[in-house]
Amino acid sequence: MSTPGLDRRSLMLGAAVSVPALSLGPAHAEDYPSRPITIINPFPPGGAADVVARPFAAVVEPIIRQPMVIETKAGAAGAVGAQVAASAKPDGYTLLMHLVSISGFAEVDRLFGRKPKFTRDDFVPVARLIADPCVLIVNDQQPYKTLQEFVDDARKRPNELLFSSSGLYGALHLPMALFMKAAGLQIRHLPTNGGGPALTALVGNNAQALVSSIAAASGQMKAGKARALASFGATRAPAWPDVPTMKELGYDLEYYLWVGLFAPKGTPEPIVTKLRDVTRQAAASDAFRQAMTNLGQDVAYQDQPEFRTFWDADARHIEDAVRSIGKVEG
Amino acid sequence: MDSTLDSLLLGFSVALQPDVLLYAFVGCLVGTLVGMLPGIGPLAGISILLPATFGLDATKAIVMLAGIYYGSQYGGSTTSILMRIPGEAASVMTCIDGYAMTQKGRGGAALCIAAVGSFVAGTFGVIMLTLVAPPLGAFALRFGPPEFTALLVLGLVFLAYMSSTSLVRTLLMASVGLLLGMVGIDVMTGHFRWAFDIPELGDGIGIVPVAVGLFGLGEILSTPSRSVTTKVVSPRLRDLLPSRTEWREAAAPIARGSVLGFIIGIVPGSAHIISSFLSYALERRLAKNPEDFGRGAVAGVAGPESANNAASTGAFVPMLALGLPTGPVTAVLMAALLIHGIPPGPQLVTEHPQVFWGFVASMYVGNLMLLALNLPLVGLFVSVLRIPYAYLYPLIVMFCILGVYEVNHSIVDVWIMLIMGVAGYLLRKFDFDPAPLVLGLVIAPILEMSLRQSLVMSNGHWSIFVQRPIAAALLGLCAALLVLSALSILRRRRDWRTKLAAEEAGDAA
Repeated sequence: MSTPGLDRRSLMLGAAVSVPALSLGPAHAEDYPSRPITIINPFPPGGAADVVARPFAAVVEPIIRQPMVIETKAGAAGAVGAQVAASAKPDGYTLLMHLVSISGFAEVDRLFGRKPKFTRDDFVPVARLIADPCVLIVNDQQPYKTLQEFVDDARKRPNELLFSSSGLYGALHLPMALFMKAAGLQIRHLPTNGGGPALTALVGNNAQALVSSIAAASGQMKAGKARALASFGATRAPAWPDVPTMKELGYDLEYYLWVGLFAPKGTPEPIVTKLRDVTRQAAASDAFRQAMTNLGQDVAYQDQPEFRTFWDADARHIEDAVRSIGKVEG
Repeated sequence: MDSTLDSLLLGFSVALQPDVLLYAFVGCLVGTLVGMLPGIGPLAGISILLPATFGLDATKAIVMLAGIYYGSQYGGSTTSILMRIPGEAASVMTCIDGYAMTQKGRGGAALCIAAVGSFVAGTFGVIMLTLVAPPLGAFALRFGPPEFTALLVLGLVFLAYMSSTSLVRTLLMASVGLLLGMVGIDVMTGHFRWAFDIPELGDGIGIVPVAVGLFGLGEILSTPSRSVTTKVVSPRLRDLLPSRTEWREAAAPIARGSVLGFIIGIVPGSAHIISSFLSYALERRLAKNPEDFGRGAVAGVAGPESANNAASTGAFVPMLALGLPTGPVTAVLMAALLIHGIPPGPQLVTEHPQVFWGFVASMYVGNLMLLALNLPLVGLFVSVLRIPYAYLYPLIVMFCILGVYEVNHSIVDVWIMLIMGVAGYLLRKFDFDPAPLVLGLVIAPILEMSLRQSLVMSNGHWSIFVQRPIAAALLGLCAALLVLSALSILRRRRDWRTKLAAEEAGDAA
């Protein structure tokens, strides 16, 4: 009967040691992480950030020997979760997995004369994990075989064709806005409430065009329900070698649905370094690679310096796209 | 036909493997539980268990997750019937007559009818899915925004049948619901409406916190002030089973609910929630004694419970045949397939027949399991009511708060639920029925979205609603229903609603 007492004592001892360690946590990067890390998923379960974050966490947990918890804080197209992360304690225990659309919120707020609730400066980029190039697809009942035919017809009939999107200023609206600006087109916008409904609208021929990620559209493309006219990647996608890039066709456009890991501003540098190390190992692991292959994705890992450069350039395009959409008269 | 049979045999050979059976059972069990817990619906249940499926193969994962989905439609009725707490949005209508039956001591019968109705509807749905999924998928695609708008207008027309109170009170509640549905970001222009700088309100007011608050909390809050507490029900077997008359009353509503629910379920765009509302209204329109509704009408339980189950199966048609989600739940299921390297799309059935047919066959088995799981538990569930209120109700309040928080991890939702609980108490005191409010809240955002999408498609011309045949037919049906009602008013026939209004006036005097 003495063993339980001993256990309790050693437990107490352990607690006494770990409490000061916890309170000093942020300063001692070698102790980090000493408790579970939370990754905020700002989109609904099964969404673009979730399907990357979960396999990522599964690979990271054995490396850091701490649980990594995905906490869904969906709302307002990703703004709610980003705001929660931006105002979290910058101690490395609350991180954010967010998409390309993180760059647009502040610009939309400025457009409406609202004080932005958070800006890009509220986050420290840790690493980019994937970057899926988008494709411009049209419904198979539409006659367009090439981007040029589509552009010609859209020019001939301004404001008659329709494109669907995941929502106003959303991740699938922005690339279309960039393309319309570059090609000087006027196409009516049919907003929906997500990537799935946007694709449904296109396949049902209620909208003629849509910019979608390759992963989301490939099922419909393979079945011949949707035809890809151009891709927004830097090079042709290996799975779709016949689809030309926007650059080949003379439009200087690149757009990826990328997913990256962020920490709140003010997270101590040693902790960020540790996170970068861990993320680098995770991204290189076979398990994570396989999980991404299943999603139809390639790991497109970028460490902090590269990612920061990429993000800065990407955000300029996004802000540009938001401004070119402007305020919509309802 | 032969090939369908062969494929189905292939499916059963997958679905009857012991480990697949086990995962189907786990899914159905978890589904029953999340359906029962107030607040936590199928979406939350599936997302919580999604990571647990990473280690499984695709068939087992989808079989288990889908089991949670249709299992929750079984479980959702339990708390609605026994405690007037909608386990999830689709079982709001069951609260009304199901709970009234419980108060009359027929709670066990209501649970049995709900379980059997769910089983019939679920099995009917799977048979339809087996036989005619591809053509139905093509039909679903013809449901664009204008058709969806027309369907929701039909829902609005049926609203008048939704309630056990007079028309004025019903419409008043519905208007409040429609107004609450206007809160949130304007999807077309991005303006915040009535959000008071609370980002969580940008997506609007959730249905689950409102339904749980108005019905469940409102009921609990009003219990202490009631002079007569419900007598402790000690169930006898005879009381648990429906009588012959009750079975007869339930048969036709179950059949109608199955067909109606399935058709609504295949329409893309969250329409499955309104299937139970529409079924309730339909049963009331067809009933010989519409005034019985709200006072424990068997058809008011049988119809909606069958409809929501058939709708959840119908929702798999566009997902499996076209690779397109009909709502948030099917979107997560598709993500689950994607995670296992199976891109959902029109070619799912040809490229991955084991997954497709295994999944379909598992639904036959799953519905049987759910019936076997739910019927014997009826006695146990009814016994829960024998727990003294002083212990039971605080527990339920706790589960409500936990469940509502878990859905979006949002404390704002919990506040909405608590405020709605107080509102539900007041409405009960003043004899207002919250069901039309919930339906208004369900319809407002999707009606607004589809109406404005339709007008974007037509560049502002309203003629789009008559040019598209399905939309025109649905709107014609609405017009016919309105004309019929107008005629009966013209003939000055005192129908059940005027009687109710007279009763209410009598009460007030």
